[in-house]
Amino acid sequence: SAPMVRMNTLVYATCFADAASSSELSLAYVKLIEQLAVFKGYSAAFCALKLAEEKFPSSTNSQIHLLKMQLLHERALHRGHLRIAQQICDEFGVLSSSVSGVDIELKTEASLRRARTLLAAKQFSQAAAVANSLFTTCYKYNMQVENASVLLLLAEIHRKSDNAVLGLPYALASQSFCKSFNLDLLEASATLTLAELWLALGSNHAKRALSLVYQSLPMILGHGGLELRARSQIVLAKCHLTDPEFSVSEDPCAVLDPLNQAAEDLQVLEYHEMAAEVYYLKAMTYNHLGKEYEREEAAARFKEHVTALENPRDEEDSLVY
Amino acid sequence: MVTDDSKVLLHRFNWQRLWTISPGKCITSICWSPDGKIVALGTEDGFVLLHDVENGKMLRSIKSHDVAIICLNWAEDEPLSRTDKEDLLSYEDRTTRFFPPAPVMPRIGGLNSGDTGLADENEEAIQAFSSASCQRFNILCTGDKDGCICFSIFGIFPIGKININKVPIHVQSSGKRTSYRLQDVSISKVSLSRNLHQLVLLCSGKLINTDNLSLSNDLSVGVHCLHLDTSIFSNRKNELHQVSQQASSIQDLVEVVRASISMMSKQWSNAMNLFHEKFSALPSLLTAHGMESSSEDEFMSLLFGTHTSPALHQFLVSSLGEAGLKRIAKTIESAGRELRIVVSEHLQPAVEIISFRLAELRGLARWRSRFQNIGLDEKLMDGVTERVGMLVVQVERFSRVAATVLYLFQNFLSWVLKCVKILLSEPTDQVPSTNSELVVIFLKFLLDKDPIKQLLETDQIFEWDIDTAKHVEHLVVFGGFTDTKFLERSLAKQFSELEESLKEAFLMPFTTVSSQIHCQGLLPLYPVTSSDALSSTSTPASIAFYKDKDSQHNASSYSSTDYICFKIPDGSLNLRNFVAVIKDFCNSCSTSNTPSLSGFLLHIPVEYECVDLSLYKDNQVVLLLSGKSSSENAGRSWMVMLQTENLSFSQFSRTFPANYYNLQELEALELQLDTDYGKVRSVPHPLSTPLAVSASRGVACIFSSRRHALVYILDEDEDEDEDEGSEME
Repeated sequence: SAPMVRMNTLVYATCFADAASSSELSLAYVKLIEQLAVFKGYSAAFCALKLAEEKFPSSTNSQIHLLKMQLLHERALHRGHLRIAQQICDEFGVLSSSVSGVDIELKTEASLRRARTLLAAKQFSQAAAVANSLFTTCYKYNMQVENASVLLLLAEIHRKSDNAVLGLPYALASQSFCKSFNLDLLEASATLTLAELWLALGSNHAKRALSLVYQSLPMILGHGGLELRARSQIVLAKCHLTDPEFSVSEDPCAVLDPLNQAAEDLQVLEYHEMAAEVYYLKAMTYNHLGKEYEREEAAARFKEHVTALENPRDEEDSLVY
Repeated sequence: MVTDDSKVLLHRFNWQRLWTISPGKCITSICWSPDGKIVALGTEDGFVLLHDVENGKMLRSIKSHDVAIICLNWAEDEPLSRTDKEDLLSYEDRTTRFFPPAPVMPRIGGLNSGDTGLADENEEAIQAFSSASCQRFNILCTGDKDGCICFSIFGIFPIGKININKVPIHVQSSGKRTSYRLQDVSISKVSLSRNLHQLVLLCSGKLINTDNLSLSNDLSVGVHCLHLDTSIFSNRKNELHQVSQQASSIQDLVEVVRASISMMSKQWSNAMNLFHEKFSALPSLLTAHGMESSSEDEFMSLLFGTHTSPALHQFLVSSLGEAGLKRIAKTIESAGRELRIVVSEHLQPAVEIISFRLAELRGLARWRSRFQNIGLDEKLMDGVTERVGMLVVQVERFSRVAATVLYLFQNFLSWVLKCVKILLSEPTDQVPSTNSELVVIFLKFLLDKDPIKQLLETDQIFEWDIDTAKHVEHLVVFGGFTDTKFLERSLAKQFSELEESLKEAFLMPFTTVSSQIHCQGLLPLYPVTSSDALSSTSTPASIAFYKDKDSQHNASSYSSTDYICFKIPDGSLNLRNFVAVIKDFCNSCSTSNTPSLSGFLLHIPVEYECVDLSLYKDNQVVLLLSGKSSSENAGRSWMVMLQTENLSFSQFSRTFPANYYNLQELEALELQLDTDYGKVRSVPHPLSTPLAVSASRGVACIFSSRRHALVYILDEDEDEDEDEGSEME
């Protein structure tokens, strides 16, 4: 439960501020900043990070340093600054010790991030290779949470490379993994990916996808971060749009409401790729409804995001905050 | 199964008496829960009491009305009406997977050890009740004397309230829309259909045409039948189910928190009273010795070994003494232990589970398209979640403060004990060593003040030091609570704020749902003259919904037919000894093109009198007739079962304003006791009113005026299959 995490950390930070050791307190702050990044967007998180760095000099504290790199990587990925993302990935790889079997967590995180960067760069086969090797490592060291998320990543890779059928077993495996380990949020996102995969298989699966989305929605809305929430809203809208029995003119709110919400969330997140998708869908919907002014507006926003994605200006801006 | 005057007796089917309770109030209505595990009682002063069938323990009492509750109806959603799609939307309550069972109310331990076994059982029953009642969706609706109807899910979570006096009734008649309003309504019967779609109620009151007030006349006072559209319950039942499940358990836990806080403050104030009682002797002794210094100074000088004033000496040695000191120490220690137990076993887990459940509710509230129309508001839920977070911090702080204070007390008291022993020149090696620094802190901060009590009282403001304040403000940047002043509040204050916002948040669904219950149709049944008005509530009537025969092939969209059966009081409509049966009232209201409203009147032979009536299974009517005293049949009664199919329903029109009471148009049928309409059974006693018919077991229970209860099996063909009569005092 995400709100519980926040609350308990706050309890710790408020009540035991005088008694706790600095490493524990900094862990509390790191957790809080992570929450901020997921729920409130990067600008707020970086603001807090600056304060935390003042409080705990970064030279002594690897946790905050790590957090900073994670945040930077995420933001670079969202903004489409792939070169910087790659650079941070390499830094991650350097951080862990070279002896095999040591610093496994750091290593898995590094390769997970590498796979995601490759995925964002649309180098699917390489991403899949990295993810596969990562899966074997995780399996070897019995890291169940990572196992599930790697499986989910593999499903995602297959989906993005238009191989929905190949992705299905991965998503299902991830889902069952999560179920057996009580990883509810991860399970919900696996269900969401499953819905996306079904949707990719054609419009006659829209009903099934819709019911899957409905299943995962309470969980995602309650505990998922901005990105996950926006994604689920997009899938919801897409389900409606691809359903041949659904007509936009009858119930435009069913599509526009989730899209608007997703657009709001993504604005905070600076996630160009998905924002572009949202505005594309919005423009299409307005086109169906015959509302030209709104359509033009959505289209303009769509173009904005696409150009921002394709020509990443001010890349150096990504490293400062 | 029997109610006496303000006493409830419950018997098993074989007359084994299960329990007897007397709630001390006048009980005006009674009904069973759909699963047969709970009995709901409506009292004269507007309480609904829920009792466990197994042991008669009261599970809940809810005050939802201001006046007497006349009728109760507890309807459960039928499993038939569930379709595949809804099953996919089913929702799992994750709380049980992540948390140990919810804490129960703390009890004051050791007071009545003989009673604890019973109390434990009670707690278990409440636990079982809250878990079992959440299995399937059901709604208890209650109607009272002033025309209010309340709906509560599972009988515990109030979801709606409407006042019939204020509901506008629109009637479509010959293309013209007229709106009416009922005044001085008193509800006599409510019935919710099995698919929770429709509500039919019988009420007496005055019908007023709001468009044209002059049209109302004497005749407008009468008994009317109303049809309310409650489709919000069935359309949104999944959502309502989830919300009420979470919300009702949150309310339970809030009660737990409240009980814990009050108990802690009681325990602590008891201990503190003893302490202050003993130590208040010191200042007076000091003044008696003509000294200016305060008791704090005296203790200080004792600690630093300067001198012991005679007053303090006298106080410590004689008025306090070693035994008294030990007693104080023991009391405070046990109070502290009690406090710790309450915090760790009740308060903390309760608050934690509340916060988890609220987080789940907030997640649901974010799903605007589904949950906004039952009034789950995201902003309000956010606010409540914040409050609960603060409460968690407060609880944590409280436990810290309590631990510190207790330690200081312990330290101080053992120091004082040591001093006493020194003064009496006794060996001190038995006394644990003390920390004089902490004694100073105690004298400075605790001798006069009581931070635990402050935290437990509502109207205290805390001066929090600047460091902490800054720290809290600092945390806002990291996503902390935006209300930085919250540490100034006490625990109890924070809790009451939480309660307030919870109430506000749960009021939203309440009002939203209430506003979505509309009146669909009105059928005046019979007029009553003002003299009869008082007795009108006691005229026998029965409403029931039965599944349509012809729609059974299509199970997903079945509709149900309602049967309304009532006795027309003598004198009204110039009819005497008539019983009317009407069917398809709801359908005729919703679909105006098919005039399916139909019914018949039944004329009961003059020598009999209808005592009570009830609808039984599919389209059967059970009448209870008793012979009039003047005839030769006096003292004997008959129970008559009628197959309504055998009787001819005749349709009648709803040309509304022209003629209020259309029942006169209905065909009157003579009831002959020896005809083949149904089964007739004779009862050799005069009978009194309540007739209870159970469709599932096929029995009828009747009460004779000689205090006999008799149970009949209705479906068997033998004439005399009277089960057993039992004498009851």
